[in-house]
Amino acid sequence: MRAIPLGKPSVIAIAAISVIGVLSFLWPFVAPADSFLVVNSSETPLLFALIIPLLLVTVISQISDGGLDAKAIALLGALAAVISVLRPLGAGLGGIEPIWVILILAGRAMGPGFGFLLGSISLLASALFTGGVGPWLPFQMLAAAWVGLGAGLLPKASGKRELMILSAYAAVACVAFGFIMNLWFWPFSLNLPEQIAFTPGASAGENLLAWIRFNLATSLGFDLPRAALTVILIAVIGSPILQLLRRASRKAAFDAPTVFIETQRIS
Amino acid sequence: MIIFESVSFRYTEQGPPVLRDLNLEIPAGELALLLGATGSGKTTFLRAINGLVPHFTGGYFTGRVSVDGRSTRVNQPRELADLVGFVPQDPVSGFVTDLVEDELAYSMECLGIDPPVMRRRVEEILDLLGLTELRNRPLHTLSGGQQQRVAIGSVLTAQPQVLVLDEPTSALDPGAAEEVLAALHRLVHDLGITVVLAEHRLERVMQYCDSILLLEDGSIRSGSPSELMQTSSIAPPVIHLGRLAGWDPLPISIRDARRAAPPLRALLANHSPRIQAVPTHSPRIVEIKKVHFSYGDKAVLRGVDLDLDAGEITALMGRNGAGKSTLLRTLVGLKTRSKGTIHVNGVDPNTLAAKDLLRHVGFVPQEPHDLFEALSVAAECKSSDSDAGCPPGTTRALLALMAPDVEDGTHPRDLSEGQQMLLALCLIVAAKPPLLLLDEPTRGLDYPTKKKLGEVLRGLANAGHSILMATHDVELVAELATRVVIMGDGEIVANGPTQSVITDSPMFAPQVSKVLAPERWITVEQIAHALSQELA
Repeated sequence: MRAIPLGKPSVIAIAAISVIGVLSFLWPFVAPADSFLVVNSSETPLLFALIIPLLLVTVISQISDGGLDAKAIALLGALAAVISVLRPLGAGLGGIEPIWVILILAGRAMGPGFGFLLGSISLLASALFTGGVGPWLPFQMLAAAWVGLGAGLLPKASGKRELMILSAYAAVACVAFGFIMNLWFWPFSLNLPEQIAFTPGASAGENLLAWIRFNLATSLGFDLPRAALTVILIAVIGSPILQLLRRASRKAAFDAPTVFIETQRIS
Repeated sequence: MIIFESVSFRYTEQGPPVLRDLNLEIPAGELALLLGATGSGKTTFLRAINGLVPHFTGGYFTGRVSVDGRSTRVNQPRELADLVGFVPQDPVSGFVTDLVEDELAYSMECLGIDPPVMRRRVEEILDLLGLTELRNRPLHTLSGGQQQRVAIGSVLTAQPQVLVLDEPTSALDPGAAEEVLAALHRLVHDLGITVVLAEHRLERVMQYCDSILLLEDGSIRSGSPSELMQTSSIAPPVIHLGRLAGWDPLPISIRDARRAAPPLRALLANHSPRIQAVPTHSPRIVEIKKVHFSYGDKAVLRGVDLDLDAGEITALMGRNGAGKSTLLRTLVGLKTRSKGTIHVNGVDPNTLAAKDLLRHVGFVPQEPHDLFEALSVAAECKSSDSDAGCPPGTTRALLALMAPDVEDGTHPRDLSEGQQMLLALCLIVAAKPPLLLLDEPTRGLDYPTKKKLGEVLRGLANAGHSILMATHDVELVAELATRVVIMGDGEIVANGPTQSVITDSPMFAPQVSKVLAPERWITVEQIAHALSQELA
């Protein structure tokens, strides 16, 4: 069941923003030392932080082109609200973030388009709640959108197998989210020991190694508990929540076509 | 005003048609009553009027619905919002704001109406629906009838010409239903609004309506009430009485029926109503002695004495706030009395843990789905077996007896209202409690479902359960109860056999008794029995 169908233009738009997004995260590994991005490395995150929201707006308006189903909007709003309420629970506790299980299960039950929108919108809404608005927000929105999108693209499965796939995906996605989110500030973080610091002009391989060491040294302590909690939550509440979401989706009948049949008048 | 031209509709391409080739016209300024059993397509029909069917629901639509010349084929529901006001079944689920005034203004804000105009219209609607006192109240503190009036008000502020209501009074007690119907009556007569409403409780609405739309298997018959009621399978008791007596034209209101009644009275003069057998010498199940209860310093129960025996069906009546629900809750140990003694099946409910109490007294709450916790009917029955400590399959077998058409895999909340009530009853009865308590068991049920529930309850009573039900439904009481207890202000003001208690008070009298008072007939069945003897 696809709560929000993705047409070809929407897929292209998502692909385009994802390419830009990947660049906005990965530029440290590919940009030459004398490039504009590296020379002005303290402004680079801001540059992307401005570009990404503009692109996100474009993508969202493209996906909703022709009108989102009112029921899909209602469900999107309700789930974004749930995530916004859950988000502060994770603040300050090493990686205890119950929001990911909701995002992943919703993406799984409602499809990739819904997952993408829910990821970006719920991180925006919850940031307004928690006061976590800053240059990192667009990066978070995009990364969470990817998590939701990916959950919607997982292969077909049901029962235990489905929960296994979701758990594996959740573990990877939660750690990857942490690693990737380190990238937006890592290049211009000062006073890092040489082994874990960004070196302008060094080869991609060297910087990649430095980045991985940086992740292991700093954020892994958050990323692993986040992944563990999400996997545990999927095992415990995954099945009932999926059934709940699927029931909502079945009742809403998102993909039911509206057809006016012409009849020939006898007159 | 509303025109249906060869309208057919099905939700899926291969699915059964929900509406079949409907052709009808509802003229402006009419109050049309839509009748049909649960699942007959009433809601679909109502939603087709403003285009929610098929634009919102999806589906395959043939033909044409137009309201004041605007067709739903080309207009989205939002483009009909200024023309058709739609009040869904559960007003609370439709509320967007917290306060009465805000809720009234909300739909106008969506339509972009000027603030000064909004201000004025809110005042008008407050007066029109008698909501002035409530204007600053939070919505959740209002009674059911008040909430329903706010819901109606909030669509009226857009000044629609058509008002569509889906069972506006079926969940309300008679007083609140009266409030809402009086408000609707006024809208039709003072403002000339066209009203289409679906309703189960015909005994309340029948006298207000101008025409009837009878929906059966997706086809519709429309006409004047007295004409359609000749043959309708869905009819209030006064109609059944009129048909039995062969009155022509068929009286719709109590007043007309009384005027037609003298020949029937003469015929019945030598007969007396057959009364349901009341069990004698059956074991005492409940003893309540001088029970008091209060919330803070507000006394809710003031010295209640009541005994109930096995095999009895006792109706607990009285206005809202008289202490009915509190008494039920005290019996099941949810509330702790401040004075007095209660023995249920020999034990004091307050001394037992919930798990053990289950075997002595069972309580079906007003919203039966409050009891549901599982994701499917089968799982619900299974967990009930283990709660009640009975062999696996007991609850499911009970359910198969009471509601054979319920399927295992269905989510309990996806069942119809009647099926939910029967499932809840099975969950409770599985533990075989001698005392069964029900709070408003027939709220929102149609006539066939009500009849089915009545049979189930009578069966349980014959099997030795003592049943105590709080209800406003006088027709149910007349047909089912062996005894009636009326509460007023925390005290029991009447307690006796159904026949004498309900014919003594005009408030609680069923339609048959209103027509034939002061004679003590209460059901059509009694009269049919007497007439058959007369003829024999």
